[in-house]
Amino acid sequence: MTIVVENLLRARSGPMTSELVLHPAQFGLGRVPARVRPLGTVRSTCGFCATGCGLKVHLGADGAAINVSPDTDYPVNLGMACPKGWEALTPLRARDRATMPLVRDPSADRLVPTSWPTAIATFVSRMKAIQARHGNEAIAFLSTGQIPTEEMAFLGALFKFGMGGLHCDSNTRQCMATAHVAYKQSFGFDAPPYTYRDFEESDVMFFVGANPAIAHPILWQRVMRNPHRPEIVVIDPRRTETAMAATRHVAIAPKGDLWLFYGIAHELIAHGAVDERFIASHTSGYAELETFLADYSPEVCAEPSGVPASTIRELATLIERGRAVSFWWTMGVNQGHESTRVAQSLINLALMTGNIGRPGTGANSITGQCNAMGSRLFANVTSLFGGRAFDKQADREEVASILEVPEQVIPSRASWAYDQIIDGIESGAIRGLWVIATNPAHSWINHGRFRALREKLEVLVVQDMYATSETARTADLVLPAAGWGEKTGTFINSERRISVISKVARAPGEALSDFAIFRLIADAWGRGELFRRWSSPEAVFGLLKELSRGRPCDFSGVESYEHLARLGGIQWPCRGEDAEAIDAAHHERLRRPSSPLEGASRENSGERRLFADGRFFTSDGRARFHFSPPQPPPERPDEAFPFWLNTGRGSSAQWHTGSRTNKSDVLRKLAPTQLYVEIAVEDAGRLAIESGERVAVSSRRGRVEAEALVTSTVRPGQVFMPMHFDGVNTLTLPAFDPHSRQPSYKAAAVRVQKFER
Amino acid sequence: MVASRDTFPLLAELLADQQRLQTPIARFSDLAAITPALAPVYRDLIPLTAPAPGEQYAFEVDLDACSGCKACVAGCHSLNGLDENETWRDVGVVLGTQAGHPFQQTITSACHHCADPACMNGCPVLAYEKDPVTGIVRHLDDQCIGCSYCVLKCPYDVPKYSERLGIVRKCDMCHGRLAAGEAPACVQACPTHAIRIVKVPVENGPHGRVTDTTHFLAAAPSPNYTQPTTRYVSRRGLPKKLVAADTATPRAQPAHWPLVFLLVFTQIGAGLLAAQVFGGAESPAVLWSGAVFFALGVGASVAHLGQPLRAWRIFLGWRKSWLSREALVLGAAAGAIAGGLALPGEGGERLLQAGILAAFAGIFCSAMIYVDTRRRLWAGEQTWVRMGGTVAIAATWWTLPALAVTLLLGKLIVEMATLAPGSIQGKLQRGPLRRLCFGRFAFAAIALASMTTAPSAFTFAMFVTGELLERALYFRAVDAPKMPGMGGQPK
Repeated sequence: MTIVVENLLRARSGPMTSELVLHPAQFGLGRVPARVRPLGTVRSTCGFCATGCGLKVHLGADGAAINVSPDTDYPVNLGMACPKGWEALTPLRARDRATMPLVRDPSADRLVPTSWPTAIATFVSRMKAIQARHGNEAIAFLSTGQIPTEEMAFLGALFKFGMGGLHCDSNTRQCMATAHVAYKQSFGFDAPPYTYRDFEESDVMFFVGANPAIAHPILWQRVMRNPHRPEIVVIDPRRTETAMAATRHVAIAPKGDLWLFYGIAHELIAHGAVDERFIASHTSGYAELETFLADYSPEVCAEPSGVPASTIRELATLIERGRAVSFWWTMGVNQGHESTRVAQSLINLALMTGNIGRPGTGANSITGQCNAMGSRLFANVTSLFGGRAFDKQADREEVASILEVPEQVIPSRASWAYDQIIDGIESGAIRGLWVIATNPAHSWINHGRFRALREKLEVLVVQDMYATSETARTADLVLPAAGWGEKTGTFINSERRISVISKVARAPGEALSDFAIFRLIADAWGRGELFRRWSSPEAVFGLLKELSRGRPCDFSGVESYEHLARLGGIQWPCRGEDAEAIDAAHHERLRRPSSPLEGASRENSGERRLFADGRFFTSDGRARFHFSPPQPPPERPDEAFPFWLNTGRGSSAQWHTGSRTNKSDVLRKLAPTQLYVEIAVEDAGRLAIESGERVAVSSRRGRVEAEALVTSTVRPGQVFMPMHFDGVNTLTLPAFDPHSRQPSYKAAAVRVQKFER
Repeated sequence: MVASRDTFPLLAELLADQQRLQTPIARFSDLAAITPALAPVYRDLIPLTAPAPGEQYAFEVDLDACSGCKACVAGCHSLNGLDENETWRDVGVVLGTQAGHPFQQTITSACHHCADPACMNGCPVLAYEKDPVTGIVRHLDDQCIGCSYCVLKCPYDVPKYSERLGIVRKCDMCHGRLAAGEAPACVQACPTHAIRIVKVPVENGPHGRVTDTTHFLAAAPSPNYTQPTTRYVSRRGLPKKLVAADTATPRAQPAHWPLVFLLVFTQIGAGLLAAQVFGGAESPAVLWSGAVFFALGVGASVAHLGQPLRAWRIFLGWRKSWLSREALVLGAAAGAIAGGLALPGEGGERLLQAGILAAFAGIFCSAMIYVDTRRRLWAGEQTWVRMGGTVAIAATWWTLPALAVTLLLGKLIVEMATLAPGSIQGKLQRGPLRRLCFGRFAFAAIALASMTTAPSAFTFAMFVTGELLERALYFRAVDAPKMPGMGGQPK
């Protein structure tokens, strides 16, 4: 009786309670609520950043994804993921997915739904009409580092070999072009030399213009596993999350980086702390470097770098004493007016001290987008397939014969870079633009100009998951694309690991994978026969394997997608003769699984780095030293615009322009939801600005409103704004590195004022 | 140019193919993998044995290891199958200076599983219980009536109201996982092992205490009230002065309109009834309007509940919960007043008088509901002056208009003290709530101005509207303590 009354009075069970009751879920997941209990799982790779985490996708009754968790067997992330990975499925379910092609109705000036046949016919007829009037080169595309390699390759081949276009680029220009050029010039090939295990094996690590604690949290996890109590030096104008976690933070002056690294190199030479044997056997151009650096003593470099001479000496000593020194950089280096030389100043430090090819060493660019590395090798944009050159007859012949296309369809000239395409729109040279999975109206530097130029385009086609991005809203034609999770293909991550993504969700409405859209266009363009072999992503993967054979990025030893999924991705190079050793290492790994707590104690992790033999990819096998005198930034703070504006990632929960991450309630909650500007306590005090107040930030190019966030983490005279918000790039300065043509997003002069309506 | 689908045989094939999902490759073989794959990873992050008497489970956050990735929040959301917009863990940032260097630190927090949980103490239906062994504060989802009082009681903003379910849900430290030797979702999800479950000493009793609260975060609301058990530890130490990144951006709170009507109407009703019954006035219109106000006020309470059909259990919490007491007493008062008005003769008169006295007791309970939250605006004279003032002004409005005007003026002066620009209330009432604030004083001014002639239905309506807006401000401008948040979020 009492029990009955007690149960009546206190409802300890019932439908709402059972929603959250945990049940053993199998698949190694432990307990989960019934609602998300999977019937199967499948492996995939995260589609946000280039860390390339393995995800275990949980499947429901109809074989479609119901949830994801980090893959515990995957060698990259060891069962962990950042919030974006956990939320990978949510952006697919967004209400504003594009489900039908849209075409601009000129009478109403708005986008209206249309059919695929009409959309494709419109695409072909309008692009061909432009080519007929203004020449084949009057159309261009801007693409992405976010789609699988097979799709990038198809796009590059279709546009250049099928449609007769020439000028095209990708948003990877905004993040990785510098690393690409720096490696190519220094190593003879775009080859980031490291493997993630190097994070665990260094005893001295430099993070330059990098904030992995929030930008690449899973790579930071690898740093935290390092058992050697490493010295971690963070070189960044801001005291970032990573700087907080480091053993030493050097708050460099904006764009003072080249001076700092030349000063360190000078000091190493002065101390005789260089590896002469390595330099003599494996590099060329050292004597010239030594002569050049003679002028860059720590005293000379102190003022322009903002780093005291004594600190420069201490940093040199750290490198000298380090057993395994590694240099890691991200956008703070890549996005600058002389960024290629800055990246190479780090490469030079690694080369001259012999810190390359050994565990825990290297001059290592951490990549941004999930498939920037695929784009760099196989997008057929800047380089011909497989890191070849368009202007080399032999390269063209090779590609033509592998792909069975006539050699004359392959252009012999390189295409314009992103900024040159934008200039081309202004000059009228480019009349038709096709934008695939990127959002230049938000992300391109000084984007006020991009938006103004929209009027000059006769046709703007946007191919995207969402018809609501800043760019798509201005399009003449929107092609609805399936997203990550709704298609297959492969990505290449930051450590050269090729991995497979799985199709685990049905695309909404009539959205099609980019691959399928390219097939439709190839067919409608009358090029179906030329692309007969490009029938499926895995078929294209086979072609790419052939294109890689004999190249530094050779992965001809990879058997299939299944092989990639089984091994948890495979790092290039993987020639036929490497495959057996890689498989063996994989089995070894599975036999003795490691715990993230265990640190880097495995003998054979199967992870591989380049240049262990000191042979580089140049014609003589020697690495090159590249250097030039530092140039002043094209714009510096002055009386009218007294602050340096620095931009960058604001939180781990936001991805670039937010077109996907803004679709997740969880991610939105974990990130600031409105544009803010971080300003130093001293400056805010002087301007009588309080945290939370509205302020106006203006540059010579534009003006935005933001909320002030007064913080000690930025230095006086500098302000920081997160790149994820529309508006920041109305302020940035369109300056470009002359070698990589990557924009300098992190150094513009701005003014901050209390907001007045 | 129009083309039909028939001209594209390829299209049909591609559209069909797009909807076909792959057969998962060989992963069904994992079906037998009942052992959690992460077990070796988190083995050292959860206790091996249950807490001994005088101990309970607690979260321990290693601030040196936490790098700000926020995976804990997303992992909890995903592995617990929470709704799209529901999270049980939060992250914020604290800023300061340490040894001359700028300092910032991400703070992750979930339920602190307090030794003296305010949510549990305030719940009118006993929908919270503290596990006698683990100390985990659990919420009984099928018991909850969705009154959200726990949301107001918790100084750490932990319980989260679910619109879909009409109830509150919150972190239960994944007690089901812990019982099976598995780690809570946040512990599993942290790439740097910054969160673990530890056992902390506690002193039990009617109000439990955490033996050592020095490891609670200095930048968070004081642990003295609810005795939170979470430990924030750091080997390098934290700066003395730490400021939450969102300190400067107070957020306006929900108005809770049903509660606004509940409070204002029961108070006006009780005032009008008292004036008639005890003040000797003889106006049936005022008497009946008082009864109607009171009834509408009591009725409005139901509209506030997410699960009104479960509200019959509301008496359960009377020992500790002022909300439970309010419901009982106001309910009884309503019954007595109705009975008193219905019954003829002296019996009816007595019952009515008893009902009005009960209404006063109920209004006292109403006030105590807010005083008991310890929120600054609610804990002090503002609650007594506002609620008592409404009763007193209504009681004197028709019979002693000069006194009513004086009382209203006095009440407005007390309210204006909350407009000081330095305070949270001041910032909100001068900023995002300025229109509501203007409305409150405008209606009061009209009521006062029109009272220079004689009290009328119009002047009374102006007064009532002003009081409703005043009460909405009381809710919207209140300081709502919480764990440190982030900058750049909307006000």
